[in-house]
Amino acid sequence: MSTGIAPRLNAERVELSNGLTVLLSENHALPAVSISAVVKTGERFVTDEMAGLGSLAGELLDDGTETRTSQQIAAAIESTGGALATTGSYATTKVSATLLSSDLDLGLELTADLLRHPSFPEDRVALEVSKRRAEIHAKQDDPRHVASEAFNEIVFAGTPQRRPVIGYEGTVAKITRADLLAYHRQFFAPNNTVLAMAGDFSAAEVEHKVRQGFGDWGRDEDLRLPEVTRPERQREPITRFITKDKEQVNIFLGHLGITRGNPDYYAIRVLDTILGDSPGFTSRIPRVLRDEQGLAYTTYCHTARSAGIDPGRFVAYIGTSPENQARAIEGLRRQIELMTAAEPAVAEVESAKAYLTGSFVFEFETNEQIAAFLVQAEVHQLGFDYLERFPKEVNRIAAQDVLRVAREYLDPHNLTLVVVGPVDETGRILKQAEPT
Amino acid sequence: MVLTKEVHDKPIVSSIIWYRVGSRNEELGQTGKSHFLEHMLFKGTDRYRKGEIDLITLQQGGANNAFTDTDFTAYYFNFAADRWPVALEIEANRMAHNLFAPEEYEAEKEVVEEELRIGLDSPWGALDQAVWAAAYQQHPYHNPVIGWLEDLERATREEMEAYYRQWYHPRNATLVIVGDIDTKQTLSRVQELFGPIPAGPEPKRMGICEQPQQGERRLVVKKQTEVERLQTAYHAPEVAHADSYPLQILATALSTGKTSRLYERLEERDQSVTHQSVEYTDRIDPTLFTIRAEVKPSRRTAEVERAIDEEVDRLKQSPLSAEELARAKQLIKARFVLGHEHLANQAITLGYFETINSYEYLSSFFTHIDGVTADDVQRVARKYLAEDNRTVGYLVSHGARRQ
Repeated sequence: MSTGIAPRLNAERVELSNGLTVLLSENHALPAVSISAVVKTGERFVTDEMAGLGSLAGELLDDGTETRTSQQIAAAIESTGGALATTGSYATTKVSATLLSSDLDLGLELTADLLRHPSFPEDRVALEVSKRRAEIHAKQDDPRHVASEAFNEIVFAGTPQRRPVIGYEGTVAKITRADLLAYHRQFFAPNNTVLAMAGDFSAAEVEHKVRQGFGDWGRDEDLRLPEVTRPERQREPITRFITKDKEQVNIFLGHLGITRGNPDYYAIRVLDTILGDSPGFTSRIPRVLRDEQGLAYTTYCHTARSAGIDPGRFVAYIGTSPENQARAIEGLRRQIELMTAAEPAVAEVESAKAYLTGSFVFEFETNEQIAAFLVQAEVHQLGFDYLERFPKEVNRIAAQDVLRVAREYLDPHNLTLVVVGPVDETGRILKQAEPT
Repeated sequence: MVLTKEVHDKPIVSSIIWYRVGSRNEELGQTGKSHFLEHMLFKGTDRYRKGEIDLITLQQGGANNAFTDTDFTAYYFNFAADRWPVALEIEANRMAHNLFAPEEYEAEKEVVEEELRIGLDSPWGALDQAVWAAAYQQHPYHNPVIGWLEDLERATREEMEAYYRQWYHPRNATLVIVGDIDTKQTLSRVQELFGPIPAGPEPKRMGICEQPQQGERRLVVKKQTEVERLQTAYHAPEVAHADSYPLQILATALSTGKTSRLYERLEERDQSVTHQSVEYTDRIDPTLFTIRAEVKPSRRTAEVERAIDEEVDRLKQSPLSAEELARAKQLIKARFVLGHEHLANQAITLGYFETINSYEYLSSFFTHIDGVTADDVQRVARKYLAEDNRTVGYLVSHGARRQ
């Protein structure tokens, strides 16, 4: 079995005296550059009453600074043909830009300004809040999204992770400019930020420019990051049906997952690849439920994908016609049970390992991917030797390890089940699909 | 046709095979076949049993998938450079030796029908389908790529196999290989594998057309929703038509980025929509120039439609500013370059244009974009964005209790 071509990466790490971590990787394949500046804050530090504040702050970073209007920022970046985006998610808040390398200086200057001096203008706050409230309604039209949010509400009960990242209409409506400024003051600091860049530049020159743009950003000596309540895995089955007038039922089944720092992460990657997360329909759930039984177009299962600073979710999904509901749920349950009942075949384990190690090279194709990896490596302390270490960690996993982690991290008897579609609150089908 | 491009900065290779067949080639009562056939090409050949193509991809650490549209069906593999030729072996084999086992056919029909339902459940899917169906009355762009449910249900395995025999031949295919390859060796391997396959008949000419639209068409689709949506589509020219370049500039100036006309008008000034977009995709035959808007619950869709009309009228009455024109050109060119960071995208662009026009389209693309003047943009706005030439669709609530 082949072990794959190892991706190569020249990366450099510098920490400025104000605590800003700078990660640089030269890549001269195209005259282009990606910048990813990540502040380690997000919805996880936001109280329930303010749900949506972190994501709104992230989204509003490019809506005006002390010296630039929203229009000036947009005009500057769009006239170069580049793209700049700002987002706030659960654990991170990000300014990212992809540009032609000739526009690198502008990209760095804007990134610094947006992170350091956002002004959250009143009119822009009102505009975004109003748009956000409408989006909360629009998302109700996507049944998979509704099911996913309902699943989170149960699995992450009692923690900020149970909430939609965009908040609730009631909380978002109350967010003010003062709240946003206070949030920015509290969490945006060089000693809470990672700046990663990949692309067609000279690392030495860029390091100099970064010092110019960020060097005088004062370290926050009082930076205190709140403790985040850890979710607990449920000890009983929980079921919820939500009525929507749709063609399909969208089914989520699972429970609490793992953190990225979990030492069993690599065994769980192998487990995921065997059970429900692989290319094509090679893993068990898509192979049986889609390829053999024709129950669905989309069905999968994974745990490692959502592993972060806080535990993610172990989740199986299927979208199917209402009349297949019972078979689909039973099918997912059965595959989860089988995974915890016996060791997988050696051939399954070896194929999964070959896939994980062989496809690793594709995670480093673009500047944006490389910059994102550099940030991940820093946040989760993977180290730049991760490129050599990952295949070794994966290749160490044997069938018995997969069974052990399946038994430890999957509990087929205490699952959350959420169904969204043409069903009543007890799961009875309200509408039959057209006869076939 | 074989297109190759050596790119040595990463040890990977993308290969894609394109067949010049899609929903455009489907006849009455036979819709959805091109897409369904794409699914069947993973269900077993005389050499690879069902699931084996995916298993090989897995074991070799690669990725594969396929996509079908109005004008083409394409299959791709991404592999590390030391093992990619397995993709050629698979494509050569399934071009001529696909099996259509009855039990596989029936099971996969269920899968395709589920895929169709996902489309209908998505917020834009049902409206988009209704607008295309109304805008085209004769031309097969009338039909959804996935097909009509009743046609899918009726379709037989034998018809599917006949369709495969009709369209899957070297003469109707383009093979694109981009990446860390040696061109000479690659071409000789292609010759070895594909050379023995009969070229196939001259592909059937479809003889399809669409009469010019003689007046606005309006439609309403009702669904359970809290948010109304608007989709306006104007008939617009095909790929490489001289007017297609100014229309691309027009689409960009209207909708790309926060400096665009519709963003400024609808999202900033009126604050009436959550988002808006313009789509103008190159196709073999005359296509649609589509404007979409998702309307805030507190606002009226008719009011948004009026505001869009005002912005369109403004483009007809006065040319774009020099700054807007320059920005649109720069956006189109830079995104073309930046979009090609993924090796697979380079292979997709080459194969896509060769299939719907010619790969040479790309060599003059920037020159054509640079040559567009503000007057050209104004002229095409007047010519195509006309009321008589459009279909307007509304997605509204079916009136049931809010969930």
